[in-house]
Amino acid sequence: MKLSLTNHNFSTLLNFSFINLRRPFCSSSLSLSPPNYLKPKVPIFLRPPIYSTKLSDLKKWHDWAKNVASSIGSTFVKSDNGPDSSLLCRELKWFIEDVVENHHSSLFSQMGLDDDIERVKMRVDLEELYCLWKQRIEERKPFQYIVGCEHWRDLVLSVEEGVLIPRPETEVIVDLVCDVVSKNEDLKRGVWADLGTGSGALAIGIGRVLGNGGKVIASDLSSVAVAVAAYNVERYCLQDKIELREGSWLEPLKGMEGKLAGLVSNPPYIPSKEISGLQAEVGKHEPRVALDGGADGMNALLHLCDGADLMLKSGGFFAFETNGEQQCKELVDYMKSNKSASLCNLEILADFAGIQRFVIGFRL
Amino acid sequence: MLNFPRRSPTITTFLCKIIKNSYESHHITTSPTLFHCRHLSHSFPHNTTPWFSSTRLSRSGYSNELSPTQARFWASQPESTEHSTSDELTVQAILSNNWPILDENDSDWKSHATAVAQSIHLIKRRLQWKKLKVRLDMLSVQVNKADLWDDPVNAGKINREHGSLLGKVKEVNALERELIEHIEMIKLAREENDAELELESTKALLNMRRNAEEKELEALLAEEQDSCSCYIEVQAGAGGTESMDWAAMIMQMYKLWAQKRGYKVTVMEEMAGEIGIKRATIKVDGEFAFGYAKAEIGVHRLVRISPFDSNKRRHTSFAAVAVIPILGGESSRVQINESDLRIERFRSGGPGGQHANTTESAVRIIHIPTGVIATCQNERSQHSNKASAMAVLQSRLDQLEITRQAQLNAQHTQSLTDITWGSQIRSYVLHPYRMVKDLRTNYEVSDPDSVLEGDLDGFIMSYLSASLDKNEDDA
Repeated sequence: MKLSLTNHNFSTLLNFSFINLRRPFCSSSLSLSPPNYLKPKVPIFLRPPIYSTKLSDLKKWHDWAKNVASSIGSTFVKSDNGPDSSLLCRELKWFIEDVVENHHSSLFSQMGLDDDIERVKMRVDLEELYCLWKQRIEERKPFQYIVGCEHWRDLVLSVEEGVLIPRPETEVIVDLVCDVVSKNEDLKRGVWADLGTGSGALAIGIGRVLGNGGKVIASDLSSVAVAVAAYNVERYCLQDKIELREGSWLEPLKGMEGKLAGLVSNPPYIPSKEISGLQAEVGKHEPRVALDGGADGMNALLHLCDGADLMLKSGGFFAFETNGEQQCKELVDYMKSNKSASLCNLEILADFAGIQRFVIGFRL
Repeated sequence: MLNFPRRSPTITTFLCKIIKNSYESHHITTSPTLFHCRHLSHSFPHNTTPWFSSTRLSRSGYSNELSPTQARFWASQPESTEHSTSDELTVQAILSNNWPILDENDSDWKSHATAVAQSIHLIKRRLQWKKLKVRLDMLSVQVNKADLWDDPVNAGKINREHGSLLGKVKEVNALERELIEHIEMIKLAREENDAELELESTKALLNMRRNAEEKELEALLAEEQDSCSCYIEVQAGAGGTESMDWAAMIMQMYKLWAQKRGYKVTVMEEMAGEIGIKRATIKVDGEFAFGYAKAEIGVHRLVRISPFDSNKRRHTSFAAVAVIPILGGESSRVQINESDLRIERFRSGGPGGQHANTTESAVRIIHIPTGVIATCQNERSQHSNKASAMAVLQSRLDQLEITRQAQLNAQHTQSLTDITWGSQIRSYVLHPYRMVKDLRTNYEVSDPDSVLEGDLDGFIMSYLSASLDKNEDDA
């Protein structure tokens, strides 16, 4: 479904200013009224601590959860390169940090005699804790969907089913943009686009490094993603800088031809035939539309090349994430043979794990 | 910019050395299949300004106010004459009178005065008074040299040290003056039969007596870095499970100690063993964290009946502790070149990116010229892990630089060799008898449980005062 852009923007602005009047920052609920908007889930760490439980009961749950995690050993690692026990135990620690109010590191470390009397305030009911941890282990639901957030760069982003969980690799794209705009005031004040924004991670990361007048247009095909991204944008008070648009790839950028200062994207790039063999957390739970890049995984990436050619102004910068070395090379080859008149300074960059991950360049 | 000799530079190497253990075995294995590398060519928004640009700024800003500052320094030279009452009673004389010190509640001015005089004497001794005055005189000459600011970095350093020493001298002088003034008032009050004034002045003396204790403690922590926050690192010695369990106990002891003192504790890195830890680093945030914790540097030994030995035999385990100050102030820190860094991320094979969902984002940073390594894995994003690892790396390089400079500067060598290269410092015996004993000071406690629960202050204070006494003897 395509929205009328002007209407959409107007209502968004109206809503945000209304919310801002009520709650100056980081409101824990978002009540967007237009029917186009879904209501995003509130991450656990932002919910009010309205549940109270005996410390001894929480300890019981913790012991149970730890046992379950330990019993996994390296089963998941062997089956599909999933998490091992030690990783699950660390997730458990973070889970408690998000759930318990005024969490402190020695919560379980001391043998308290008052455990039966002492009560703990929590943001989730004890029974739900059992359910959630079962979902984590038995259904392999991603930890980020369990707690409703992902820590990405210095941000904490809300995520939920239907939205791709931002990956640590993608953090680097913000560093690249940061580098480029620090040397070029014109790009710093220009309009950028993040296509397939998902949770809004790249748009928010970039929105925070742009200068006065700089803007980001963030788009996604999925209405759930747009709603979650809007929620995240509002939490970081970037409504004035980031504009959300719903639609497929270049569609939402109509009218911006030759005007963009930058274009970034982490598009779906996994070849279709590999989807069924993915790690359970990814394959069974994350939206296929955010992962599946067609037969060779290059469908969206090729679209983006056209986008860079069409939308960027002279001197504009682009950065795309890919599946790895092979896609990087194919993409650069494609640009060299088809876009050599418009795209230049092409470069392939590796992520911190040493895998060639990003293709970057400029519009002539 | 950083020019270190290539000799066993890392603190971890030091840890391994002193417990005669192999470093590799306790570190994330550098298997090429697990770690892939990439030179960092961007992405450090902080720390990128070359240091000289900022110091230039401060220099030009300074030249305008150079003369008033100069004038102030001259005017504020501490008086060299000793304070005395009208009948020539000095602080020294009070001390040699040997008046008995009674309980605080006994309202006896002589007793209060003697207690304060003793505190002042102790503070002076801890500050190494004579040396300090000599150094201050020397610095005062340098501060007033016309060409001081030709070397802005050095000038800043001299200015800071001069200010700090001058502050200490003034504080002690003020204490002495205050003591003498109160005594004078009491004598006057007696001559005039003014009971109210006498009571008031006696009370003032009592207050001084109470505050002096705090000042004594402050004097223990007078070194430049003492007020800093710090990292505490613990590494298990040889002996597998036994030592790893001991390392975990030691780490827990420091966490509890830090909490008791009101410091904020953050786990930076923790390499778990099957039981306990192989190695861990915590950050202890708060004033004087380094000043106290530096007393813990060295090897800690445990003797107990092993809970892991089915034959219930007695075992001895070792764990090594290192403490690194986190320096404040940009100018005192080592400048790190981005091109000297290699940043690696742990991964378990596979194509990564969208293929993987993982909450593992450990980052390891290697400073190539020195081989110093820092790892952080406990943050929830790669970005934060990188920032934390960078902070650890910075402090390790700072410490290396301090050690290097200390070797050039004979004045500091003594104390630093003491704190850096001490080996076995403390024994914790749980069987056949129960005792914790510090091998440096012979301070001992017969309740190991309380010590392991973080009651370390007795050990720390006795070590700090003993090491100052030692310095005094050497002087």
